[in-house]
Amino acid sequence: MESRTEVLVIGGGSTGCGITRDLAMRGVDVTLVEQGNLTHGTTGRMHGLLHSGGRYAVSDQKSARECIEENRVLRDIAAHCVEETGGLFVKRPEDTDDYFEEKLAGCEACDIPTEILSNEEAREVEPFLAPDIEKAIWVPDGAVDPFRLCVANAASAEQHGGRVLTHAPVTDLIVEAGEVVGAKIRHEPGPRNAATVGKTETIYADHVVNATGAWAGRLGEMAGVDIEVRPSKGVMTIMNVRQVDTVINRCRPKGDADIIVPHETTCILGTTDEEVSDPEDYPEEQWEVDLVIDELTKLVPILGDARTIRSFWGVRPLYEPPEVGSADPTDITRDFFLLDHADRDELPGMTSIVGGKFTTYRMMAESIADHVCQKLGTCARCETADVPLPGSEDFSVLRDYMDEFSLRSPVGRRSVQRLGSRADDVLKTDAPNPVLCECEGVTRAEVQDALSQSGTDLNAVRIRTRASMGNCQGGFCCQRLAAELHPDHDEQTARASLDDLYQERWKGERHALWGEQLSQAALNHALHAATMNRDTDPAKTGTPDWTDFDGGQP
Amino acid sequence: MSDSENFPIDVFPETEEMDLRPGADSCYKCSACDTSCPVAEVDDDFPGPKFQGPEQWRLKRKEDTSVDESVMKCSNCMRCDGACPSGVPLSQMHNTARAEYVSEEMSMLSTEYWRNRILANYGTLARIGSKVPRLTNFVMGNSLVQQVNEKFLGITAEREFPEFATETFVEWFEKRGGSTVQSEDKRVAYFHGDYANYNTPEVAKALVRVFEHYGYEVAVPDQRCSGTPMFANGMMDDARRAAKFNVETFHNLVEDGYDIVCSCTSCSMALRQEYPELFTFDGTAEVAAHTYEALEYLRIYEDVEGDLKGAKPNFPNLAYHAPCHARNQGLDGQAVNLFSELDGLEVTDVGDSCSGISGTYGWKEENYDTSMKIGEEMFEHMEDAPGETGLTECPTCAMQMGHGSGYEIRHPLEVVESALVN
Amino acid sequence: MIESDVLVVGGGLAGGTAALSAAREGADVRLVSHKESTLRHASGLIDVLGYHDGTLLADPFSAVGDMPEGHPYERVGSAAVEAGLDLFDEVAGDLYAGSHTTKNALVPTHGGTVKPTARYPASVAPGLASDDGEMLLVGFETLTDFDAPLAADHLQNAGVPFEVRGVTARFPMLRADAKITRYAKVLDTDEKGIRSQLVEAIEPHLGDATRVGFPAVLGHDHPARVREALADALGADVFEVPSGPPSLPGMRLEDVLFAVLREAGVTIETGNPVVGFEASDGRIDHVAVKRTHQRVPYFADEFVLATGGLVGKGITTSREGVREPVFDLHVPHPENRYDWFEDEAFGDHPFARFGVAVDTDLRPLDGSGAVEYANLRAAGGVLGGADFAAEKSGSGISLATGRVAGRRAAQS
Repeated sequence: MESRTEVLVIGGGSTGCGITRDLAMRGVDVTLVEQGNLTHGTTGRMHGLLHSGGRYAVSDQKSARECIEENRVLRDIAAHCVEETGGLFVKRPEDTDDYFEEKLAGCEACDIPTEILSNEEAREVEPFLAPDIEKAIWVPDGAVDPFRLCVANAASAEQHGGRVLTHAPVTDLIVEAGEVVGAKIRHEPGPRNAATVGKTETIYADHVVNATGAWAGRLGEMAGVDIEVRPSKGVMTIMNVRQVDTVINRCRPKGDADIIVPHETTCILGTTDEEVSDPEDYPEEQWEVDLVIDELTKLVPILGDARTIRSFWGVRPLYEPPEVGSADPTDITRDFFLLDHADRDELPGMTSIVGGKFTTYRMMAESIADHVCQKLGTCARCETADVPLPGSEDFSVLRDYMDEFSLRSPVGRRSVQRLGSRADDVLKTDAPNPVLCECEGVTRAEVQDALSQSGTDLNAVRIRTRASMGNCQGGFCCQRLAAELHPDHDEQTARASLDDLYQERWKGERHALWGEQLSQAALNHALHAATMNRDTDPAKTGTPDWTDFDGGQP
Repeated sequence: MSDSENFPIDVFPETEEMDLRPGADSCYKCSACDTSCPVAEVDDDFPGPKFQGPEQWRLKRKEDTSVDESVMKCSNCMRCDGACPSGVPLSQMHNTARAEYVSEEMSMLSTEYWRNRILANYGTLARIGSKVPRLTNFVMGNSLVQQVNEKFLGITAEREFPEFATETFVEWFEKRGGSTVQSEDKRVAYFHGDYANYNTPEVAKALVRVFEHYGYEVAVPDQRCSGTPMFANGMMDDARRAAKFNVETFHNLVEDGYDIVCSCTSCSMALRQEYPELFTFDGTAEVAAHTYEALEYLRIYEDVEGDLKGAKPNFPNLAYHAPCHARNQGLDGQAVNLFSELDGLEVTDVGDSCSGISGTYGWKEENYDTSMKIGEEMFEHMEDAPGETGLTECPTCAMQMGHGSGYEIRHPLEVVESALVN
Repeated sequence: MIESDVLVVGGGLAGGTAALSAAREGADVRLVSHKESTLRHASGLIDVLGYHDGTLLADPFSAVGDMPEGHPYERVGSAAVEAGLDLFDEVAGDLYAGSHTTKNALVPTHGGTVKPTARYPASVAPGLASDDGEMLLVGFETLTDFDAPLAADHLQNAGVPFEVRGVTARFPMLRADAKITRYAKVLDTDEKGIRSQLVEAIEPHLGDATRVGFPAVLGHDHPARVREALADALGADVFEVPSGPPSLPGMRLEDVLFAVLREAGVTIETGNPVVGFEASDGRIDHVAVKRTHQRVPYFADEFVLATGGLVGKGITTSREGVREPVFDLHVPHPENRYDWFEDEAFGDHPFARFGVAVDTDLRPLDGSGAVEYANLRAAGGVLGGADFAAEKSGSGISLATGRVAGRRAAQS
């Protein structure tokens, strides 16, 4: 197979999706390829903080200014992905007053609004804060759903004529006469591509954008250039419920385990910062989980005994020009770098983007798109800061969920929050619409809608809907989700998708196996192995001789 | 400037704003609560305690005030608490959500609000009614009045209002000059509740006589309704006032060496479980720690089991129903076990189903049919049991038993009194 | 003072069996159970041994004698397993089938698989996979645990010796979030003629099917009546496909078990946990039952612990380790919690075997292998050494060890 496009964007994270949307809106013919699901890489493995800039206000004021600017933009264009939680920088007795003052001054210098709260005021906002905290600075931090944001960017790109290919890893870059002219990809099983699975496709492009984050070095190797990304891992531990509704930061110089982000129904504790050599293969270690729990318990004591449901690790695609040579990954700038390989390596046809952070993804995308447009000689204006993303067009309605959608109010409220302005299209149905995932309040109609975008990949359904992301970690709903694939897909396909999702859920849950979550895991194990016999299912392990077994009362 | 403005900020505001989301940590979705819910089994509008409790709370954010209105269908029988193998504070979640719903979403001008408030404050009604018991009984028994109640207040006309006694228990107790036993080390304070005082003083008298038989000095302090009907109707302000009064009164007695005994299992439930879950007055925990159901107390501290063996009370065969709130305190087998070796009568357990009335729930016109459906199993078992007299600890269960079977309903303390005292 | 000969802690299958066995030996028995038992989580199937070293067993007793040292079956011996099953047959009576043979039955489950089990509810019997009658599976749009067409294809892919089709029907009258007890109730009472409405909806799909399988919601109080009515009207056998939690077959079994216990004179108390104990000279003197706030002593000569495993909370864990919370018994386990599990979801997880170690008299052992208390025995899920989910052995272990523990306690 062979195809042509003006710009080929590699990497379906926030940056890649943002660039693709930006270019498509400028009328550029653009194709996005992603090796797995959208957000497969770093974007899908972050704590979901929408920075106010406060965290960088002392150490990196340029980043801080960019953050507050983009923070305001995203509240407008991505309302259905953002929750305006606010954030607190909390000072414990052992944290210095000097740093507190520096933080305050830094925020002011960067135009980040602040308010100082006393112990009583802070604990009125968040009653579970430790009684011995001294004071706090309020900043406009927020929470953002990275999955929803990327999916909305990709959907917008498609609406503007862009092509989005997931489950399409790049197997090689094509370099002809000293210039990158395209890439070879392999179509792996995924949504909407049954006809092409297993085939390779050569995509020729006028320009290639390498937006693969921590994987940028690998892409560089394919083209024979050196891109020294320094991947750094960090753990995120997910609590079962929201102990806080405000982002809680520890007010001290950078360090491990200093942030709690309320995210949908959960809180995410983060994080650690450890350089790794391979973005796909690194140790996920017990000490990291213990550290975030123990440290953050000093800010919110009930975390110590609270239930965690899983942990996951993300790999930051940190980059610094090799001449800087920071020894500690926490010293590496969070700024982004645009590497024009024509200038840098005398290899025209490709630009890489490395470093940067999620909150400023749109701004990064804008500058890359400007750069690419300049290369292409087109000059359409960027509109991504003004046009709302699909789902966020009109999102300000109070509704009676029972009358409109026959849903109990918490379920309706959550569904509408996830779907934004698409709620009516998705949830209005004549058929009974039972809740499939009870933990997160996800109905059959919402799952079917996600399936129409995700094919047989239940993990893609999961990130769209949050189904299987609650306290039972899919123990009760994985099989219900898989059943929704049938009869459009055959039984073996549904079963394979179920096995994939169940294993993926287990992977993260392993890091939370004590207390209530181990009880849950044991119950899930009993349900799936003892009751359903999925561990030794004769459909997998071989047909038994039926006549050897009890055939009923003679 | 009012007094409250002089105080520092209240860091942990009162119960309506209580954050129960962490309670969802214990849920592992087994649904034992749902399978134990007598309402979900018969009422299509009620999605079950798992949804009402851990699921609804977990899906909540702080700024969300809207609680699903189906929480008003919960009868507060608290069987879900007894079912949950994992310690989810289900009834506490329901009580708190219901209070939130009533204060945020129910119109204070609605008939439903006032009807619920009247039912929840039965004690006030009773205090007035019992002043002129014969007149009240006549008026409330009047079918025209019942029709008016149903039409304008939504109180079902199918049920007959309980009759008021011509002499309340407290009047009787005062008239006899208080406790006939004085003791320094064996003393109990009796929480009789409204019903035993106004409607079934014979139960309260039995308690006094039985405890005096065992050598206890019995105190009967001034008291208010336990609050159970108020929790069930989300009338948390009313409940708080009543509870505060009771805690203060009984805490003083506890400090003087009294234990608290109740004849009504919903009252003991309120004092020992719901108060500490919902309120933080000084002494709440001490009151809870010293509260017992009357027979439970005697089983622990006296050999009532041995004394009843072979005793011969003047009672016919009895069909016993264990109230849900007794079940929650682990008392469901108590009466039948204690009475199993009485001479001359048989006590049959009519099964573990809910009677269906759940306090004020079954009095509401819209719940009447559901309530009777829930009770069906109990009525059938009563029919099958050898006795034609009912037995239970809970006054509203007794109403339902009487209403569904036509039997006269007695209280276990009356049986003990007859066996040991007379 | 509350006192009995034998005090059983835990009201599941193991505790119930222990109490019944002790009562039959003439002991005065009290059973205290904190909450609803995990019987209502389980499918209601009585597994004895379905797999040994990953091999499917046609006859559970072919391998019961081969279990490794420390496995509950090895502790009590295979004769005790048979005796436990005999006791179950007597207790369950007509509610259960399968006692006509020593072989395992292969039962279709709500996941579309088949699983080996030794006894099964009568309501499940017509659905056995070794019968060659044509099968129709019926699911309901609103009962999301069972997708009948998918299950039918799954069975076909497992090579079952019969034709099987599945159909999804709409269950009349009920809302999308009705609980299984609501389904059972309307079928029990035949509210608004629900049974014939169902039959009408299913009949057009019947074809040549001689048996029709439903989700396990066919009545709570009168399951036989419901099945019979549907079968008569459809002209085919009717059966249930077990599932859970929650599980009506499990609840029906619980009802029967407790009725038998009451008849046997066992004093049953539910709702309050056992939170502590006093011991002297290596014997338990009494346990403390927590009644809301008071700790009430319950005295007995002999004690049986049957509080379940990780699911039943008879075994609890924290980041620091694994505990048995009532008597603080020793629970062998790897020190590092990352050694409690395998990376594969269906791996050979050490946590699945967590539980107390016992001598052959079922008395818990301390870390050095010595008996902890002379008058304390343990039974069922609280015992370590078996992955009941992988082996399909949960009920068999509860019955065998419950019976032995109860009898020995009464005889001591």
